[in-house]
Amino acid sequence: MTTPLLTVQDLAVSFPGQSGPVRAVDGASFELNPGGRLVIAGESGSGKSLLCRSLLGIQPETATVSGKLEWKGQSLVSLSRDQWRPLRGASIAMIFQDPTAALNPLLSVGRQIIDAIRAHRRCPRDEARARAVEVLGMAGLPDPEHRLTNYPSELSGGMRQRVAIALALSAGPELIIADEATTNLDVSIQAQIVKLLRRLRLDLEVALIFVTHDLDLAAEVGGDLMVMYAGQPVEMGDVQAVLADPCHPYTRGLLRSAPTLRTTREVPLQPIPGQAPKPGSVGAGAPFRDRCPVAVEGVCALQRPGWSQAAPGHRVACHRFEKDGRAGLP
Amino acid sequence: MSTPIIEASAITKTFPGRRGGQPFHALRNVSSKLFEGEILGLVGESGSGKTTLSRIMIGIETATTGEVSFQGRPVQSRADWKALRRDVQYVFQDPFTALCPTMRIGAALAEPLAIHRLCPASERPERVARMLEMIGLGPEMARRLPAQLSGGQRQRVSLARALMLEPRVLICDEIVSGLDVSVQAQVLALLVELQRKLGLSLIFISHDLRVIRYLCDRVQVMLLGQIVEEGPAAQVFDAPENDYTRALLAAIPDRDRLPVSESA
Amino acid sequence: MTVTALASPERGGTGGRPGLFRRNEIGPALVAGAVIFCLILVAVLAAPLIAPADPNLPDLMAVRKPPSAANWFGTDAVGRDLLSRILWGGQVSFLVAGVGMVGSICLGTLMGMLRGFGPGWLHPIVDRIIDIQLAFPYVLLGIAITSVVRPSVPVLILLMVLAGWAAVARVVRAIALQERAKDYVKAAEIIGASRLRIAAFHVFPSVWPSLMVLAAMQMAAMIVFEATLSFLGMGVQPPTASWGGIMLDGKNYITTSWWLTLLPGIAIMMTSLSLVLIGDGLEARAERLRSREADK
Repeated sequence: MTTPLLTVQDLAVSFPGQSGPVRAVDGASFELNPGGRLVIAGESGSGKSLLCRSLLGIQPETATVSGKLEWKGQSLVSLSRDQWRPLRGASIAMIFQDPTAALNPLLSVGRQIIDAIRAHRRCPRDEARARAVEVLGMAGLPDPEHRLTNYPSELSGGMRQRVAIALALSAGPELIIADEATTNLDVSIQAQIVKLLRRLRLDLEVALIFVTHDLDLAAEVGGDLMVMYAGQPVEMGDVQAVLADPCHPYTRGLLRSAPTLRTTREVPLQPIPGQAPKPGSVGAGAPFRDRCPVAVEGVCALQRPGWSQAAPGHRVACHRFEKDGRAGLP
Repeated sequence: MSTPIIEASAITKTFPGRRGGQPFHALRNVSSKLFEGEILGLVGESGSGKTTLSRIMIGIETATTGEVSFQGRPVQSRADWKALRRDVQYVFQDPFTALCPTMRIGAALAEPLAIHRLCPASERPERVARMLEMIGLGPEMARRLPAQLSGGQRQRVSLARALMLEPRVLICDEIVSGLDVSVQAQVLALLVELQRKLGLSLIFISHDLRVIRYLCDRVQVMLLGQIVEEGPAAQVFDAPENDYTRALLAAIPDRDRLPVSESA
Repeated sequence: MTVTALASPERGGTGGRPGLFRRNEIGPALVAGAVIFCLILVAVLAAPLIAPADPNLPDLMAVRKPPSAANWFGTDAVGRDLLSRILWGGQVSFLVAGVGMVGSICLGTLMGMLRGFGPGWLHPIVDRIIDIQLAFPYVLLGIAITSVVRPSVPVLILLMVLAGWAAVARVVRAIALQERAKDYVKAAEIIGASRLRIAAFHVFPSVWPSLMVLAAMQMAAMIVFEATLSFLGMGVQPPTASWGGIMLDGKNYITTSWWLTLLPGIAIMMTSLSLVLIGDGLEARAERLRSREADK
């Protein structure tokens, strides 16, 4: 059996609040093997971005991370800035939603990538430059040699995201975290980037954590899926299996809210009523209880649901499912 | 065939090039018609000119050449535009910038009534409350400031503000793009309900083909300032003729599509 | 689990109310500035009640007495009580700077909004006037004017307004142009709002916080400017003396009677410092509110 690359168990990220700590991420658990894939899906406020940031130790300064977070068996929870540095970029790299913010507008693309390479590995400039051309090529930029002298403002949004990917690849990481990396892009560019990430994963055997709000996109990426709501994971399993047989009322609601290319207004969407709760306001009960059509009275408000098995490798945290199985779901 | 309620004919829009660069052709000879009671979808990626076209149709952008007609008559003078804006309203993409940050929701909704003197001042709070109810927000919202509302709530308020004048046409520019899926579904459901109840004609602009498919009767697909395909939604989506339309459809992520083989 | 006692993220639970004076939004600089300024203002306004002596009554028996229990701030070259002169003189300084500040804010706001929302043909004209104003040497203008007409309070106020409005107009113009490009202004246009309505009801409230900052900064600059003019002999004519005028009187004795120049100098410095602190504090507050707005 291989050692997992990343082990996350009962991870919580909390902020100090007026009445005790506010848990913006709570109870996140998963394992990622070398070359594995995990899609984290959720709407805004679900804590998916914060969770990713805490994996890289770049959560806001006021946040406290607790629980188990291990990289190849080494705990990352209380690393200092200096201890994080060799991991960031070199072992774990991140691609952000907004490539413009991730790139320095005043430095050329080549300079930024070469600097990133040399920050992790002492090597002559020529060698770093060759490596920069290589990673730009890997990221699918046409004519990488010429791109070195471009400035970020001279590139389109899709190109900039490719540069950000090249930057992430530059130090040869074992895990890439893509946080809504395709959200601001046109659909055709999004499709290209997803394809690229999928290919890079296979070619370079890097593991991938892909964060998105779009369950259809999650299906395109494939691998494991973790659906988050109000900071807590509510359903986990293989993407295809979960989407074919969603067992949490929230996952089901989300799928019924999202139009596909075949839905028309003859068959109306069924929006989830109400609004997502503010982070930390969920308290002890099931996070989705206030918007849930099948909340179990007297239980969901008080007790946090544990995991139940829906199918091998497919878990769901729901009192209704635990009580009535699939028959009880809306 | 009946007269379209609003029509843009042979619109060209050219922005002068910056610093001696090439001029940018945002729209090249584009025509669009909206008929009574229908929902027209304008779909395209960034730079396709769909927003520019819609802005020209409400007069906040001027066409380089071409003209806009309203109920069969060309709109030319300031007075014409003013008349058009009594019947045609517009909802902006970004709910965070489309509402005045210092104005309370109640005042923002009452403003159109005050400007057009539609009802005595004493009746305004009543009409604001009724509108808030229609868009599914409580009356206490009237006292809030935009900063105290979520994105979905703000977008409902923008929609409500446009509806205060009881327009016949509503132009919606990417109004659900910035919203979460569950909130997006709420706004879409609201829009369908309002369209039915009020007999609105809609121009709905989006980059998301799934939303367009859901909402629209007729679709125009735009690419780089031109319309590359148009027709009834069912036809465009089920039997696309244009290569670009086909590519666009193929790029839409779809949970029901067969998983791509790993060795791709 | 551990809870670190780091500063909690600044989030007013109910969301950002852009009100100007909200509790727990006021920083220490703002408080310090406001306290100092209020003390000085109250003392100056209450001069008729608290001044120990007639500021214009010479006493040739007590000429240039250093600070003592009888005369806290000492006496001047003709034996007038310096504390009384500073208190009364503050009224002149505050009148000129205060009215000048209000006038320059009003004129500057009007011009800035005109540049943002007035008819297009006016724009280049307003821009050029602002440019010329900003390039103008006001001390020289002051000398020129006061050599023609006898300097009086209204003349000084006029000078203050002339010197100050362009800086205000420049800031208001920048905000107006920035806001004008936003969707809510276009949305207002589409529901039929006139330009005047947009400028007054939609954009002006966004200008307001910056105007408060400008007001404090302008007032500080004008206190100093008025003192400069008076010190150069172009202020209100004797015997009514503003702080600059008092320093001018004491100038000849600077080596022997330090208090005659130092004490009114401190009054000028403390006043303008307190105003600058208020301005900085207000600006930091506005910045905090803005960044919170952007967070959402």
